[in-house]
Amino acid sequence: MDSISDQACIVGIGHTEYSKDSGRSELKLACEAIGAAIEDAGLSPADIDGITKYTMDNNDAVDISRSLGIPHLRFFSEVAYGGGGGPLGTILLAAMAVVTGQANAVVAFRAMNERSGRGTSRFGQASTAAGAAGTASYAAPYGLFSPAQMVALAAQRHMHLYGTESKHFAEIALACRHHANLNPDATMYGRPMTLEDHQNSRMISTPLRLLDCCLETDGGAAVIVTKADRAQDLRQPPVYIASGGLGGGPWNHRFMVRDIESPATEATIIAERLFPDAGITHADIDVLFIYDHFTPLVLMALEEFGFCKRGEGKDFVGGGRLRWPDGELPLNTSGGNLSEGYIHGMQNTIEAVRQLRGTARCQVADTKHAFVSAGNAVPTSAMILRGAR
Amino acid sequence: MLSDFPYPIPEHGSEPYWAACNDRRLVMQRCDACRKFRWQPTPLCTFCADENFTWATLSGRGKISTWTVVTHPVHPAAIDRVPYVVVEVELDEQTGLRMLSNLVDVNPAAIKADARVAVTFTEHQSGQMLPVFRLTDV
Repeated sequence: MDSISDQACIVGIGHTEYSKDSGRSELKLACEAIGAAIEDAGLSPADIDGITKYTMDNNDAVDISRSLGIPHLRFFSEVAYGGGGGPLGTILLAAMAVVTGQANAVVAFRAMNERSGRGTSRFGQASTAAGAAGTASYAAPYGLFSPAQMVALAAQRHMHLYGTESKHFAEIALACRHHANLNPDATMYGRPMTLEDHQNSRMISTPLRLLDCCLETDGGAAVIVTKADRAQDLRQPPVYIASGGLGGGPWNHRFMVRDIESPATEATIIAERLFPDAGITHADIDVLFIYDHFTPLVLMALEEFGFCKRGEGKDFVGGGRLRWPDGELPLNTSGGNLSEGYIHGMQNTIEAVRQLRGTARCQVADTKHAFVSAGNAVPTSAMILRGAR
Repeated sequence: MLSDFPYPIPEHGSEPYWAACNDRRLVMQRCDACRKFRWQPTPLCTFCADENFTWATLSGRGKISTWTVVTHPVHPAAIDRVPYVVVEVELDEQTGLRMLSNLVDVNPAAIKADARVAVTFTEHQSGQMLPVFRLTDV
């Protein structure tokens, strides 16, 4: 077995509403999202025998199995750097488990009260501990705390090297907002954005403006994975995992500043095998789901996953290319982390499945292949999903 | 209310770095085998994996590789400090030898990539000296 290509499928998807304050526990959110995904697949909790989760998720696999009535857990695992690196990693673990026969049907999920802070601390806020240890001891004393500040350093370097400007970052925010305005479930539905809105938005840490940063959200999202032969008779058309990978590359100072000049990054390492394993090229991708925590990192992901060359992202994102229905490569068609809801990227995978089933609101015509990535600037994960149609 | 950012907690392996700062010296580990410097402190050389090294004093001179002007405070001590500048400096001793710090006594609008900088030291409320950088003429 050289790769798991097309041997496992996503057969169920489910999510809660995306809000600023869910008013319920993270365990309740997880169970609602997983329950919805099981229902979508036409399965029952007794059919599920595996759970994979992000390391940062506060929910315990046994608590979930007890709550949902999953009688036998044969596989449970966590993916590191999840965090933003988690969404496809958890699904890849699930796929590996069903392909190798360790489990029959595995759920991968993310649930958190990140915005309200009921259970999870807001990621954009600094710890107020008096001292900092480890890697943080070389950053926190200088007031370098938040992901936005760290990404700002990499973005500024990209601007210096390649002449990228804030208006190029804006193209990504504008595409996601455009799609969110076609999705009544999106947090930013009914709130259009213009380039002027982006350029006038509050500076957070130069060159990052407020509208370059993703949302903070309470909610849960889950997918069900099973082996391809079992997927054929279920309720939904199966979505095949054409390929999947994890990747970690060299960084300056661990995660504080990306070394964007490094020849090998998390994205290049994954891309090397992802496309050959799926048996396709970049030109075969119909719809893009790039993890959108911060707009400059989406631009860098497009370059480093190979959709354009390094330094060419600024031209690639222009001309409406990323916007449905007329753009040739629509990005994050339900609004993404930037404008739909921030469930650590799991909601982008759910939308990719909808695209390949043919049930998305911003449905791209004749979709066969979706590219889905997790958050770069940390060791990360990505997948190519293939529709059955 | 915290009136300063967190102080660095010296750990096994980083005590000499912070102790040298208190003597107003910027030191880094230099590999005894391949002679390369590294930052932050690590138990093995990040270039050749050799475990033998010497703490070497650097010139403290270098150039700006990147920076950010923080305008939105996310820590109580940042409220009275914004805007402040976090900088990544590439030190003269070695291509790619970069460290994080603050750029102080600077008009944020005047900062440019590759501008020359030199180290100076500032006292944290805890008494620990921190290496920070200033723009220089040459």
